[in-house]
Amino acid sequence: MSVQMEDNQLLKQATSPKTRGLLRVIILALIAGAAVSSRLFSVIRFESIIHEFDPWFNFRATKYLVQHGFYSFWDWFDDRTWHPLGRVTGGTLYPGLMVTSGVIYHLLRALALPVDIRNICVLLAPAFSGLTALATYLLTSEMVTSPSAGLLAAAFMGIAPGYISRSVAGSYDNEAIAIFLLVFTFYLWIKAVKLGSVFYGALTALFYGYMVSAWGGYVFITNLLPLHAFVLICMGRYSPRLYVSYTSWYALGTLASMQIPFVGFLPIRSSEHMSALGVFGLLQLVAFVDYVRAQIPNKQFQTLLRALVLLVFVVAFGGLVLLTVTGVIAPWTGRFYSLWDTGYAKIHIPIIASVSEHQPTAWPAFFFDLNMLIWLFPAGVYMCFKRLTDEQVFVVIYAVLASYFAGVMVRLMLTLTPIVCVASAMAFSQILDTYLDARKPKVPAKEEEGADVAKVAAAAVLPEGLRSTRGPVIGIYSYASKLTVVGASLVYLLLFVMHCTWVTSNAYSSPSVVLASRLPDGSQHIIDDYREAYQWLRQNTPNDAKIMSWWDYGYQIGGMADRPTLVDNNTWNNTHIATVGKAMSSREEVSYPIMRQHEVDYVLVVFGGLLGYSGDDINKFLWMVRIAEGIWPDEVKERDFFTARGEYRVDDEATPTMKNSLMYKMSYYNYNKLFPAGQAQDRVRQARLPAQGPELSTIEEAFTSENWIIRIYKVKDLDNFGRDHQSATAFDKGTKKKRGSARRKGPKTLRVE
Amino acid sequence: MRWLLSLLLLGYLSAVQALSVAGTRLLVVLEDGAEREKYGAFLGDLEARGFHITTEAPKSDSLSLFKHGERTYDHVVLLPCLAKGLGPALSANVLLDFMKKEGNVLVALSSERSTPAAVQSLLLELDIHIPSDKGALVVDHFNYDSTSAADKHDVLLLPYPTTLKTGVTNYFGGDGLIAVPRAVGQTLGNESPLTAPILRAPCTAYSYNPKDEADSAEDPFATGSQLNIVSAMQAHNSARLTVIGSAEMLQNAWFAEKATLSGKAVKTANRDFAEKVSAWAFKEVGVLKVGKLVHYQDEGVSKKVNTSVAIPENNPKIYRIKSDVTFAVEISEYDKTHYVPFVPPEGDAIQLEFSMLSPFHRLNLRPISQTANSTIFGTSFRTPDQHGIFNFRINYRRPFVTNIDEKRQVTVRHFAHDEWPRSWQISGAWVWIAGVWVTVAGWIAFVAVWLWSAPANTVKKTQ
Repeated sequence: MSVQMEDNQLLKQATSPKTRGLLRVIILALIAGAAVSSRLFSVIRFESIIHEFDPWFNFRATKYLVQHGFYSFWDWFDDRTWHPLGRVTGGTLYPGLMVTSGVIYHLLRALALPVDIRNICVLLAPAFSGLTALATYLLTSEMVTSPSAGLLAAAFMGIAPGYISRSVAGSYDNEAIAIFLLVFTFYLWIKAVKLGSVFYGALTALFYGYMVSAWGGYVFITNLLPLHAFVLICMGRYSPRLYVSYTSWYALGTLASMQIPFVGFLPIRSSEHMSALGVFGLLQLVAFVDYVRAQIPNKQFQTLLRALVLLVFVVAFGGLVLLTVTGVIAPWTGRFYSLWDTGYAKIHIPIIASVSEHQPTAWPAFFFDLNMLIWLFPAGVYMCFKRLTDEQVFVVIYAVLASYFAGVMVRLMLTLTPIVCVASAMAFSQILDTYLDARKPKVPAKEEEGADVAKVAAAAVLPEGLRSTRGPVIGIYSYASKLTVVGASLVYLLLFVMHCTWVTSNAYSSPSVVLASRLPDGSQHIIDDYREAYQWLRQNTPNDAKIMSWWDYGYQIGGMADRPTLVDNNTWNNTHIATVGKAMSSREEVSYPIMRQHEVDYVLVVFGGLLGYSGDDINKFLWMVRIAEGIWPDEVKERDFFTARGEYRVDDEATPTMKNSLMYKMSYYNYNKLFPAGQAQDRVRQARLPAQGPELSTIEEAFTSENWIIRIYKVKDLDNFGRDHQSATAFDKGTKKKRGSARRKGPKTLRVE
Repeated sequence: MRWLLSLLLLGYLSAVQALSVAGTRLLVVLEDGAEREKYGAFLGDLEARGFHITTEAPKSDSLSLFKHGERTYDHVVLLPCLAKGLGPALSANVLLDFMKKEGNVLVALSSERSTPAAVQSLLLELDIHIPSDKGALVVDHFNYDSTSAADKHDVLLLPYPTTLKTGVTNYFGGDGLIAVPRAVGQTLGNESPLTAPILRAPCTAYSYNPKDEADSAEDPFATGSQLNIVSAMQAHNSARLTVIGSAEMLQNAWFAEKATLSGKAVKTANRDFAEKVSAWAFKEVGVLKVGKLVHYQDEGVSKKVNTSVAIPENNPKIYRIKSDVTFAVEISEYDKTHYVPFVPPEGDAIQLEFSMLSPFHRLNLRPISQTANSTIFGTSFRTPDQHGIFNFRINYRRPFVTNIDEKRQVTVRHFAHDEWPRSWQISGAWVWIAGVWVTVAGWIAFVAVWLWSAPANTVKKTQ
C-alpha cells in the first residue's frame, strides 16, 4: 500500500503517516458523531424518555443501584414484581448495563457534573454506538491491510439500521453496551490469535467477562471462539499462538463469567458452554501431540497419536452426551432448541414463541436493516476465502453462524450486523481501492512492464489467485470506467445513508410508550394513554396495590407506576404467567378466586378497539390462552375461543367462552355506550359488537384512559353478606329472580351445626 | 312492686354506662304511639342502657337511614307494622347498604302481621328463610304454655339456649324459661357461614299455618331444631342482623308473665333474654379489638417469648429466610362497659398463619400475659426456606364474636452474598480447598524446579 501511495503524485504531500493518522482520528470522530446524532431522533421528536418494555426495568434497577449502592443491588430481593413470589433480582439479571451507568453517574458527579440518572440511561446506547464504530474499525483493520476498509466498516456500523434498532436514545437495554463488547472482544481475540500473546488473551477474557455481565448473548462468543479454534485445528493450523491465546482466554474468561451470580456454575454445567470446555481439552491434547511429534519423528507413532486424539475426542464427546442424558449437565434450554427447530417453541413453549422478537426473520427485514450491505456481505466473505488467514477464517465462521441465527430469530439480526459491516466494508474498500487509484500504467506498449505494474497494483489489494487479476487488465485504466464505478459506488453509499436515516427516523425512533399520529392537517398528535394510566395508578392507588396485567406491561407498571405486579417481562416463571393467563381467559367465577389468592387489587388491560391500536390484549389473547392451556389443559382450551368455522371473532358470533372470558368483558365493558345503540364498532378487528355489552360483577371499572387504550378495573372485596358476586350485583340492580317461596323441590338440605 | 322498682333502679345504675361500641343512635321503626307502649319496657331498658332512641313510622317523610352518604343511626329495630310495605327509606337495598356501613339491624317478626316485602327479600339475601305465607307460626305440643295457649299450643316455653358447639362462647345463656308466643320460625341456609341460630325451637316443634292446615301438615316449612326462633347473621364487616321470630316476646305483656309448663307454674324470663339478645345485636358484647401487633426478629436464643414487658416496637418490613421470628398481638373483648382481656373459649384458639399463596405455618397463639383490658397472645417460629412476599395473618371468625382479620405483609428475602458460611467452615469443602492449595504449591514448586534446573541443562548441552 505504501509503495503505491508514494507513487501517487497528487497525494504525496498529504500522506505522511502522521497526517494519515490524524485524518483517521478525525474521520473516526466524525463517524462516532454521526452514529450518536442519528440516534437522537427520538429525543428530539418526543422527549428524553426510556423506551419500550425491558429498558424500564433496567432503568428501575439502575435507580436502585444508584440509590442503595452496589452491595444491596447485588443482594436485591425485589418484592414489587412477581407478587407474591418476588424475584431475586440481584442474582437473576446481567448487571453490566446498570453498573456501567452507575459508574458513569458517579464519575460525572465526581467531576462536579451532576447529571440526572435518567439522561445517562437514555443516552448510554448512543454513546456506546460511537465506541462500537471504533471497535469495528479496529476489528476490520485486523482483517485486511487496506485502511479504508476499517473506516468504511466503522461508518457502516455507525449507521446500520440493524444495530440502530436496539441502540437509539432511550433504548436502554443490555444490547446497548453488549454489541460494543462483542465486537471489541472479537478484536482482542483476533489480536491474541495473531500475536499469540497472553496479554491479549487476558484482555479478551476481561472483556468477555464484561460481556457476560452485560448480556445473555455472551454465549455467542462462548461458542464462536472455540469453533474458530476448532476449525483452525482441523485445518491443521494449530500453532502455539492459538494455544496460548485460547487457553488464557478460556481459563480467565470462565473464571470471570462465573463471578456473575446469574451465570454461576453454568459454564461447567450447561450444554451451551460445553464446546468451549471441549475445545480447551482438545487443545491440550493437540499441544501434547505436537510436543511429542517434535520429540519423536516416527511416522507410525504419529498416526497412532492421531488415532489417540480422535479416540479421546470421541470418548469425551460420548461422555458429554451421557452426562447430559443423566442430567448432570443441564440440557439445552428451550430458547436454544428453538434456534435449531423454528417450530419447536410454538409447540412446546408458547411463552417463547409469543415474543415477536423470537419469530423467524422475514426476508425483507434483511434488506430493511442492512440495505446494500446485505449484497456486499457475500462478496466480502468470498474475499476472505482467497487468502484465508487465521483471522479471515474467523470472519467466515462468524458470517455463517450469524447468518443462520439471524434467519431463525429476528432479534439475532443484531449479532449479524457487525460481521456484515466488516465483510461488506472489505468488499467495498476493495472496489474503491481498485478504482480510486488515479494512476495510469506508464507505458501501455511495454507489455511486460504494464503487466508488472498491474500485477503489483492488483497484488497490493487483491490476493493471488483470482483468475481475472492474473492477466493484464486494460479496461479499468480509463477514467470513464473508473468514474462510472466510483460514481455508482458513491450513489450506493449515498442511498445507503439516506435509507439508514429514513429507517432510523421512521421505524426505530418511536418510544412505543408514547404513540404519535398525524392529524388531518399534518400536525403531530401525541397519544399518551400509557403514561396517563400509569400516572393514575401512581396517584390513586395505595403504594402496595397489586396490579395484574399481561406480562408485557409488567416492567412498565413497575417503572412508571411503581406498583407491584404479578408477572413481568422477565418471564422466569411460566406457571405464574399461566395463572394470569388463566385468570384472564376464564369466567369471572373462576378468575375471582385466583385473583383473591394472589391479592390482586387492580387489573389492567390494553384495548385498542376505539383507536385502532392493534397491539392490544385481545390480539394477544390467544397467547394467554395457549400459555394457560399448557398448564391447565382441562380447564382452558384454545379451541373454545374459535367459532365452529375456526374464526377468532369478537362480534355477535363470538363463542360463549370468549364472551364470558374476563379479558373480553374487561375490554368491551361499557364500550357500546360510546356509540348509538347497536353501532359499537371495534376498529382493530373491524367487527360490529353485540348490542348488549358484557356485564361485570367481581370487578368494577376504576379508570379508562382518554383513548380507551388502558382500562383499569378494581377487584371487589368479598361480598359483605357472603353472597356470590353475580347474585349480589343482580340484587343491587333489582334484576334478581325472586325465589317466590322457600318451598323447594326435592329433599330439604338440613343445616347441621 | 317495690322490688321491681329497686331492681329497675339497680339495673339503671349498673347499666347507665353500658354503651355499645358501635354507637348509641337507635332507630325504632313502628306504627304509632300505641304500638310503642306495648314495647315500653324493652325500649325503656334500652334507653336505660344509654341508647338514644328515635321512633319513626315506616313511611314517615323524615325517615332516612343516610345523610350525605353517612349513617344517621347506628342501629335499627324493625318492629312489625300493619302496613305491607316499609316505604322507600327502608327498602332491602337501603338496609343492606346500612349494614355495609356497619349498622346493626334487629328485625322482629310476627305471625299476625305480614312480613314486609323489604324484610322478606333482605332475609332471603342473607340466606335466612321464613315461611312465605302469612300466619304460619311455630307450634309445639310438648313445650307450650298451658295458661295462655291451652288449645292452640302456639306459645312456647323454652329454656335458654345452650352453647352452639364447642369453641363458641354462649352470650345468651341463663336460667329460666322464655315465652315465645306465636313465633315465625326461620331456617338458615346451608351455604352461608355467616348465619347462626341463637334460639332454636325444640325438636318437637314445627311450623304450621292455621289457615292452610292440609298443606302444612303434609309439607311443613320446617320442623324440629331446624326451626329457629331467634337467628343471627354477622356480615364480613361484623355488622349484625338479628331476627326475632316473635315480636310479642319483646312486649311488656310477656316480660315477666306467669305461665304454666306441663302443670308447673313458672315465670317467663323474657326481659332478661331480650336484654341479652339486644346487647349482642347492638354490639355491647362479643366485640373483639386488636390492639398492638408486633413481630420482630429474634436475635438470640436467650430471648424468651414470655418476657412481654419489653417487646421492641419494630415491625420490620423484611425478614430473611430461616430466621427466628416472634409475633405478638394484643386482643381485648368488649363487655358492655369496657374492654376486658379476651380469653378464647374452651377448645378454641386464635391462630396465626404465615402464608404466601398458602400457609407455610399455621400456629396456635398462646396467651403470654394479660394487661388490665387485653390479653397478649404470641408465638415464635422460624421463617420457611422460601423467599417471597408473606403475610402474617390472623383470621378469626367465630359465631357471635366480631371477625378479626389482620394481615401484615412482609418480605422474606434470600441469603445475602455475605450471609453464607465461608468455605472453610464447611467440612465437605476441605478436600477441594486442599486441592486448590496443593495445585498452587505444586505449580510454584514446579516453576522453582524448572528455573533451578534450567542452567544445568545448558551446561549439559555445552558439554
